[in-house]
Amino acid sequence: MISRKLSTALVLGSVALLATAQVWLSHIRYELSLETSRIQKEQSELKREMHQLNLELASLTRPERLRKIAQTELGMAPPLPMQVIRP
Amino acid sequence: MSRYATNAQEKVFIRRRLEAVAGLVAVGFLLLTIRAIDLHYLQADELQAMADKQHFRQFETAAPRGPILDTHGRTLSESIEVPSIAAIAREVPEADIAKLADALGISEKRLVKKLNRNKGFVWLARQISPATAEKVMALHIDGVRQETEWRRYHPLGPEIGHLLGFVGIDGDGLEGVERNFNATLAGTPGIRLVQRDARGHSLPGGSWLKDPTMGRTIRLSLDSTIQSIAYAALADGIRQQNAKGGSVVVMRPKDGAIVAMANWPGFNPNSFGNHKPGEWRNRVITDVFEPGSTLKPFAIAAALDSGKWKPESRVFCENGKYQVGSHTIHDDHQEGWLDLTGLISRSSNIGIAKVALDIGSERLYNMLAEVGFERRSGIGLSGESPGIIPPIGRWGAVETANIAFGQGIAVTPLQLATAFCVLANGGNYVAPKLLAEQEPGKMHRVMPEKTARTITAMLEAATGPNGTGSNAVPAGYRVAGKTGTAQKPSSDGSYADDKFTAVFAGFAPADNPELVVIVVIDEPQKSIYGGQVAAPVFRNIVATALPYLGISPSQTETPQWQLLNTSLSDNSDIASRNSLIRLSLREARKIASARGFQLRTHGTGWISRQEPHSLDSIVSGEMVEVWLDE
Repeated sequence: MISRKLSTALVLGSVALLATAQVWLSHIRYELSLETSRIQKEQSELKREMHQLNLELASLTRPERLRKIAQTELGMAPPLPMQVIRP
Repeated sequence: MSRYATNAQEKVFIRRRLEAVAGLVAVGFLLLTIRAIDLHYLQADELQAMADKQHFRQFETAAPRGPILDTHGRTLSESIEVPSIAAIAREVPEADIAKLADALGISEKRLVKKLNRNKGFVWLARQISPATAEKVMALHIDGVRQETEWRRYHPLGPEIGHLLGFVGIDGDGLEGVERNFNATLAGTPGIRLVQRDARGHSLPGGSWLKDPTMGRTIRLSLDSTIQSIAYAALADGIRQQNAKGGSVVVMRPKDGAIVAMANWPGFNPNSFGNHKPGEWRNRVITDVFEPGSTLKPFAIAAALDSGKWKPESRVFCENGKYQVGSHTIHDDHQEGWLDLTGLISRSSNIGIAKVALDIGSERLYNMLAEVGFERRSGIGLSGESPGIIPPIGRWGAVETANIAFGQGIAVTPLQLATAFCVLANGGNYVAPKLLAEQEPGKMHRVMPEKTARTITAMLEAATGPNGTGSNAVPAGYRVAGKTGTAQKPSSDGSYADDKFTAVFAGFAPADNPELVVIVVIDEPQKSIYGGQVAAPVFRNIVATALPYLGISPSQTETPQWQLLNTSLSDNSDIASRNSLIRLSLREARKIASARGFQLRTHGTGWISRQEPHSLDSIVSGEMVEVWLDE
C-alpha cells in the first residue's frame, strides 16, 4: 500500500519536475532567441557602420584633399628633384 | 395468413431500406475517400502552395554591391545602407497626407500623385537622409513604412567618374566599370520568409530562405594617387589654356596596367543626374582625335624596319613647302637636310612624308596595325572606339604622306598609349588591362628591339633643349616623347582653321620606362602647340608620380639639397628678385628652392643669361633655364 502511494508520489513528482524543466527550457530558449536576434541586429549595425567608416576614410584621405591641406594649411610643396634623395 | 404475409413483406421492406441507407452511407464514404485522396494526394501541391501563400510571405531583400578598390586597396566605390520611405497607398489616411508631405519635404500635390499611382506598394522617397526618415516614421502614419536600400558612393568624385561610371537607383551599374563588371559586382538578393496570422499581420521571427550575399570585390590596376595627380595636372593645363577639355592616360608599359585615366571636364558619379549623358562618356576610350606628329615615330619605325633607312640617313626637307600630287605639305619651321633623329626632334612633316612615300603605304599601314591602331584594345569597357584608319586600298600618295604625320587618321588616347608602350617595351606589344589581378596579356614582338631602342633615343632627343618637347622634361629625369598638334575636322569634313588638338605622348624614365603618359588637350586657346600646351601637363604628372613610385631623379647636377637647410628667411631679396643674372649657382639654387621653381643649368661660373627673362610670372614647379659663364 505504502509502496503504491510512494510510487504515485514519485510519478507525480517527476512529472512536476519534468514540467518545470520544460518551462525553464522554453524560457531559456526564448531568452536565447532574443539574445540572438539582438546580436544579429548588432552585427548588421556594425557592418553598416564599417561600410560607412570605409567610405568616410576614403573620402577624408582623398589625394586631392590631402594635397590641398598640405599646401594651404601646412605650407608644403611638391619636392624638387634635388630634394628627393630616397623616395 | 395475410398477416404473416404482411409481416414478411414488411421485413423485406425494412431490410431493403437498411440496405439502401447502408449503400448510401457506403457511397458517401467512398466519395469522401475519393475526395480525401484528391485533396491529399492529387491536389496536394497546389493547395499547399495556396495555404502557404496565406500563411507565409516572402520578401526579397537587396544585397549590397561589392566595392571597387584601387591597386592599393583604397576604396573607389562602396555601397552603404540608406533609408527609403514606402507606403501601402490604400492604407494611408487622407487626413495625414499634409503632415506626411511636410515631413518628406515634398509638395502635397506630388505626394497625392505618388499615392495614386498604385493602390498597393508605392515608393514615397528613396535613398533619403536618416534624419528625414526618422522624422517621417515618428509620425506613425498607417501604411507608411521604412525600407532600407543600398546606395552607391564614389568618394573620389569627379576625378574618376568617367572610368567608374555609376549605379542607378535600383542598383544596376549603368556606365563605366560599374556597368561592365555588373555581373561580378552585383550581390545576390536574399529571400526572407515571414509567417502571418489570420488577419495578415506578420508574426515575429521568420527565416531566411536564402541569405543575401554581397557582390564580389573588384580591384583595379588604377592608383588613386596618380589618378589624382593626373587629374589635377590636366585641370591646371586646361585652365591655363582656356581649353575646351582634355584627357590623360597613364599606363605601366611592363604589364599594360592602366594606372590613371582622367578626363576634363570631370563628371561626378555621385550626382550623375546633374550631368548631361554626353558628359558621362569616358573620352579616353570613346573619342578619337587626329594624333598629328605623335604618329611620326611609328612611320620612322616602319622605315627602319624596311632596311632602306638608317638613323643617320638624311632627307631634304624642302625648306618648308613640298608638293605631293595636288596637295602642298607645310612645315612650321623651315628645314633643310635632316637625319631621321632630326626629323623627329624638329618634327618635320615634309621629311616624314618623303620617308613614308619611299617605303610605301603597305609598310606604314602594317606598322600602325601591329601597334594597335586599328582595333579595340579589349580593355573590357563598352563604347570603346576602334579608331579610324582608311582602308589600305584607298591610300594614294597624298593619304600615305598625310597619315605618316598623323593626319587623315583618328585614334583614341588609349590606343596611342598602347602604341607608345610598344616603344617603351623594346618593341613588344602588351594589351592594356584594368584589373589588378588580371594576368597581363601575353607580350608579342611587333618591331625589332633595336628599332624600338633607336626610336626611344630619337624621342629623347625630341625632348632635348633643341626638340619640340623640351617642356615635358622634369629636372632630374630622362623623358622620351613626342609633341603633336592637329587641326580638328569641322562638321563639313574639311579642317577648321581655329580648332586644334594639342598632344604629348611619351614615357619616363627613358632608359627604364615605368610610365607611359598621353596628354590630349582639346581646343587650347592661348597656344596650339603640343610642346607648349600638353608637354607641361606631362611634366607635372611625371615629376610628381615618379618620386611617388620610388624612382629617384638621376642627379647629374651637383646635389645641393643641403642648401634647403640654410636659413633663407632673412634674405628679403629671395622673394622679390626678378632675375638670376650675375648670381652664383649656389645663390640661384637658394632662390629656386625657396620659390619652388626648377632650375636647369648649362656651364659653370656666374649666371649670364636666363630663360624666361623675368621671374615674375614663374609659378611653382616651372622650369627656369640658366647659362653660366666664367
